[in-house]
Amino acid sequence: MDKISAIFRKEIRGFLLNPNFLVVCGLCAVVFSYVYPLQLSIFSQQLHNYVYTMQAPKQQLNIHYAVFLRQLSYLNLMLILVVPALTMRLFSEEKKLRTFDLLLTSPITSVQIVVGKYLSVLGAIFMISLIAFLYPALTALFTKVNWTALIIAFLGLYLVAAVYAAMNLFCSALTESAIVSYVMAVILNVSIWFVGMAVEVVDGPVARQIFEHISLNTHLSNIVEGTIRTSSLVFFASVIFLFVFLAERVVESSRWR
Amino acid sequence: MIDVQALTKSYGPNKAIDNLNFTVKQGEVVGFLGPNGAGKSTTMKIITGYMAPTSGSAKVAGFDVFENPIEVKKRVGYLPETPPVYLDMFVDDFLRYVAELKGVPRSRQRDAVDRALTKTNLKDVRRRLIQNLSKGFRQRVGIAQALVADPEVLILDEPTVGLDPKQVAEIRELIQELRGQHTIILSTHILPEVQAVCERIIIINKGQIVAQDTLENLATLRGGGRKIHLRIKRPNEKTANLLKSISGIQNVHAGATPQDWVLNAQESEEVIERVAQEIMSQGLGLLEISSAKADLEDVFMRLTYGASAAEVQNG
Repeated sequence: MDKISAIFRKEIRGFLLNPNFLVVCGLCAVVFSYVYPLQLSIFSQQLHNYVYTMQAPKQQLNIHYAVFLRQLSYLNLMLILVVPALTMRLFSEEKKLRTFDLLLTSPITSVQIVVGKYLSVLGAIFMISLIAFLYPALTALFTKVNWTALIIAFLGLYLVAAVYAAMNLFCSALTESAIVSYVMAVILNVSIWFVGMAVEVVDGPVARQIFEHISLNTHLSNIVEGTIRTSSLVFFASVIFLFVFLAERVVESSRWR
Repeated sequence: MIDVQALTKSYGPNKAIDNLNFTVKQGEVVGFLGPNGAGKSTTMKIITGYMAPTSGSAKVAGFDVFENPIEVKKRVGYLPETPPVYLDMFVDDFLRYVAELKGVPRSRQRDAVDRALTKTNLKDVRRRLIQNLSKGFRQRVGIAQALVADPEVLILDEPTVGLDPKQVAEIRELIQELRGQHTIILSTHILPEVQAVCERIIIINKGQIVAQDTLENLATLRGGGRKIHLRIKRPNEKTANLLKSISGIQNVHAGATPQDWVLNAQESEEVIERVAQEIMSQGLGLLEISSAKADLEDVFMRLTYGASAAEVQNG
């Protein structure tokens, strides 16, 4: 446990003291600061239209759907591109700079290495999510916000980001080149959204159920609407476990390769 | 302390090391000598528990590196060829982190870091970022990193490579100071280094041990030859044959200039006398004559690159 926390603290400090991470956070804030007010004013226009014509679909008149979930989808887009950048330094750069030798010759197991590093990425992602969360939270100054639904929705996206983190950590462990690790990780992050598309095509009810279960979309859309299902939690947890386990195997393999 | 039995490591069809056997006693300073690519680093990495051997075994303090790597790693401080330092950390924080990784109890970490800093003379730079340090200082941070947990065994892979002469001298001095407190294995392809610090030498070539002995025994291994350097004022085309015909001379090489010659001769002193006499009597004009016993360098060249390379070096 001590060893995990040593690695965790070292990596978190690495993120916080590293100007690159702060620049990334700053740039995310810039993007949010631009799109969030736009989203808000579009919403207020729709409200006006509704008052005058009563024609807009009702669901769009909920600030949760019209503004907050949009904000979440922007955050998701950011994370697809940013998480690989966070994870690539954790293994690829260490391997390239030969500092990985230090970890491999320290009395520490590969599980401890991987878990420590994984937790530190979760910490960094949490900070970025917090920045995104500030915008809806501050909206509470002007309007009534359903906090539970909002927080659960963010939690859902955080789980998705945790899946990205696990997959990207695995990519990072695979290669010495930061660029290759980044590109691989982005492709994985994007393609995990495509898996569920097969639902539209397959015929068999069993196959359909399977694809529905492994579709990230199904699980996320439930959670962002405020419903937490254990099946979703199990799904996220198992994907995370799978990739953290794979990353651990890759790290361990360097001992006997 | 370290016991290596029939150690073999292959990368695909290539054997990096092949059936190595050696032991290192507690407190010994052993030099691992060999040309680049001989398998020095591979052997050291296996002893540190960094990677597993293909076959054979290596034990540190009785723990097998493959069965019990964690116990081995607790007892070994390792400096790889490239010092494993995080460029974006402060020297202090970095050593603290290493101490944590090595399992130094929290209450003793502060002291452990201070001690490592004192030993490596790094106190003045403890609050500097490692990326702002010169290569010599980074190397020292690397050594401090290996020392910080006060390990029983220190394994240093080419600790002086790429440093300027003053830094090389400092690192050697440091290793001298560490002698006695730790069992040290140090690899290098620089001969004066082992001569300066090691008690025992293991010469390794193409993955196999070609010699292992104390310094003195190795230097006489060649069977007591003698090298004679000559400088002649008026050499002619017959000089080479003339020199070869002198009894006791094994072979003759031309030196750097037409006037210089290098002779490999038997150990006896009479040979020198005969050479001098012969040159005088032919009126070639003897300017200089000097002789030296075969040294470690000859032994090394002979064992690793073969006899032909040793002669090129001599010529």
